[in-house]
Amino acid sequence: MTWVEDDAARQAAIAARPQAALVSAELPLRANLTALENIALVPQYRRDLDWADASGEAMALLEQLGCTGCAGKRDATLSHEERFQVKLLRAVAATPALVVIERPGYLLPDTHYPPFVEAALAALQDRFGEGMVIDYAWNAPLYRPR
Amino acid sequence: MLGFADPQRRLRRRGVAFVAWAAGWLRVLRFGGAAIVAALSPSVYNPATRAMVARQIYFTGWQVLPGFALFVAVLSAVLVRIVEETARDFGLSQFASEMTLRVLLLELIPITAALFVSLRSGAAINTEIALMNLRNEIDALARAGVDPMRFEFVPRLVGCVVSVISLTVLSCALALLIAYLGVYGFFLWGVPDFTRSVGNVFNAQITIGLALKCLFFGAAVGVIPMGEALAGAREAHVAPITVLRGMMRLFFVLFLIEVGSLAFKYW
Repeated sequence: MTWVEDDAARQAAIAARPQAALVSAELPLRANLTALENIALVPQYRRDLDWADASGEAMALLEQLGCTGCAGKRDATLSHEERFQVKLLRAVAATPALVVIERPGYLLPDTHYPPFVEAALAALQDRFGEGMVIDYAWNAPLYRPR
Repeated sequence: MLGFADPQRRLRRRGVAFVAWAAGWLRVLRFGGAAIVAALSPSVYNPATRAMVARQIYFTGWQVLPGFALFVAVLSAVLVRIVEETARDFGLSQFASEMTLRVLLLELIPITAALFVSLRSGAAINTEIALMNLRNEIDALARAGVDPMRFEFVPRLVGCVVSVISLTVLSCALALLIAYLGVYGFFLWGVPDFTRSVGNVFNAQITIGLALKCLFFGAAVGVIPMGEALAGAREAHVAPITVLRGMMRLFFVLFLIEVGSLAFKYW
């Protein structure tokens, strides 16, 4: 967990981790692709997999997070929760050492997001090294004390 | 004082506008260079890029083929009839087929194919890339480890080049058939004369020139809308201007290529 006080501090915290797989409202999904295609793109281009293998991996990720229902949806028809899940899966598809979720409240405006984000990261914990949330300090009371 | 200051301000404004115009062209040229080099690099083509290229060729070339073929058939039939009648009136019937072939195959069909692909796909590419740029989708792809050049730009460029060339070649074949039928009707006795006319038109220099012209047309249709869209400001109200500017630049370049080709051939 990284608490920031303002936008400049948030941007500095992101810039300090250039190699991290980032989940952010500023990094949208490709609008003309389905959720499955958005996730499958990563193994297709990072490991040169063909569509059959890449889509198989993407579907396995969707199953692991329990959101296979959104596989065929495009960005415009996804709910906030589904969009967050697909962005998270796109980030972990490359099995990164660090996943950074920044401003989860901006991504999940209608959800009590700390437990939702925690559950999503826990469900995918074997897919990445470390998970980190960057959030504004004034949202700290929303998180349960550790 | 005011009269003296105004021309200065006008001049400065013109200068700023010229620099912005030149900078826009430079950005498009820089993007075009990078995209063409990437398109010529075999390492760019992984299974996903090849699939995207095939999809772009389908959307840009295959889907328009029936409509374009019909258009070319009608245009050819009308033009053959006009040239045939006019040549007969002036006692120049022996030159009718060669004149028709020169006008149709070397000039009209290539530029029409390029305009067809520009209007159908160039405008769509321009709008889509401008929206992607506006929504930050290109940066999002790059951050996820997906090279936008391989996934988005090269397939569109290759799709446009292949489509312009394919539509031109197929339409030329169709126009040849229609020209023959228009001049000689459904008889085979005109085949030797017609073949000789085709041979006279398509000497080595003309054929290489036509191939290069189609290649430049295709590259322009692919590169200019994307380059302009990427150079546009990331503001929603600017998107229509970006698309308009991209299409204007594209038509200007197509016109330049056509004029350059004519100058090369006939001077």
